Amino acid sequence: MIAIKPFAYKPGEHESEKASNSYLMSLVALICGLPLPIVNLIASFIFYMGNRKSDYFVRWHCTQALLSQVSMLFVNSFGFWWTVAIFIGDDQISNDYVAYMITVLFFNLTEFIATIYTAIQTRKGIHVEWWFYSGITDQLCKPKS
Amino acid sequence: MNKTLKEGIILVALFAATLFLMMQINWMQVLHIKSAANTTEKKLGELIWESVKRDNGEIDIEAVNTVIDSIISTICTANDIDASKIQWHVVENSQVNAFALPDGHLVLYSGLITSADNAEELTGVICHEIAHIQHDHVMQKLMKEIGFSVLLSMTTGNGGGEIIGGAVKTLSSSAFDRDNEKEADLSAVDYMQAAEIDCEPFAEFMYKIAKESGDYDKYLTWINSHPDSEDRAAYIVEYTLKTDVTSGKIISPLTWNKGKKALDKWSNYE
Repeated sequence: MIAIKPFAYKPGEHESEKASNSYLMSLVALICGLPLPIVNLIASFIFYMGNRKSDYFVRWHCTQALLSQVSMLFVNSFGFWWTVAIFIGDDQISNDYVAYMITVLFFNLTEFIATIYTAIQTRKGIHVEWWFYSGITDQLCKPKS
Repeated sequence: MNKTLKEGIILVALFAATLFLMMQINWMQVLHIKSAANTTEKKLGELIWESVKRDNGEIDIEAVNTVIDSIISTICTANDIDASKIQWHVVENSQVNAFALPDGHLVLYSGLITSADNAEELTGVICHEIAHIQHDHVMQKLMKEIGFSVLLSMTTGNGGGEIIGGAVKTLSSSAFDRDNEKEADLSAVDYMQAAEIDCEPFAEFMYKIAKESGDYDKYLTWINSHPDSEDRAAYIVEYTLKTDVTSGKIISPLTWNKGKKALDKWSNYE
């Protein structure tokens, strides 16, 4: 799911720090944003906007961090509104609800661990590519010619 | 791009497969969620019943108890319903009304018993309320009208008298949604048919409350909580005719008259 791959060039110290921060930003926002899933996406988006003109390595990792947040937004939002419906609406806690929330928790936890790992590696200047997200990132993020 | 698309599909499939596997586990049992919910319902039932009892006063007359107990036992036995889960109470109130509370509490107003012309009319109403209990309509209605968090706060001692009063009002004088009412009506017919009891008096009772004008105030509560009685009487008759028509009595006329007389006597004395 996660692979270390060679990057187009060796990033500098400053670039590695910024790229690592893009993951840390989504992590901090994830913790602060609970249980509102939109918060981490907004935080990652703001960080992405601030760095969209940075060096290729920084842009690439900001994009990958942002994309991972987008997909989790849908999954988490569904769980969030389902919970709201149980507390203030006429929905009841069901087996399907518990199963969904455990699945969501499992995927969030996986993403959480992957994010920490990627933040550490990118800080060292190591390029880490995520399954599926790296492909889209490659399409969206091209080196400046 | 093809590789990315494949990876995306695999990722979605992985999520779906995990969800599917998780859904195979009975989490309600593993995490004891159902038992926690049952405890909440039990506590709510006690709280609301105590409030109804305080406002109306419970009636304990042997002849009346025999009538109600016989009706409920016969219906429950014929329909494989655990009769011990139906906690019925007769309260002093001249309004024609009956309603179900959480945890199988069933409240019958004395006005309903005195207004019924025969035991089968009363049986129809009781069956209707038992159906609401069996189909879990009561908790669904409370969740919808009051909300889960408020209900939970009631059981943890944070609910004031106002909230409990609101719950009593919701259950005693407002209707379930149309689908739930129809489901309860048709289940009531099924229960009566299974016990080989004549269903016609149940429909007649519906017509009676729909057409009652002289005694409107007396029937107001039941009309409010069970609107469109005439339409409902019509589909009860229609549904009854589709199934086997039986003309059995739930209890002997002697037992019924004895109970009714005892209640009348008690009401006059009070």
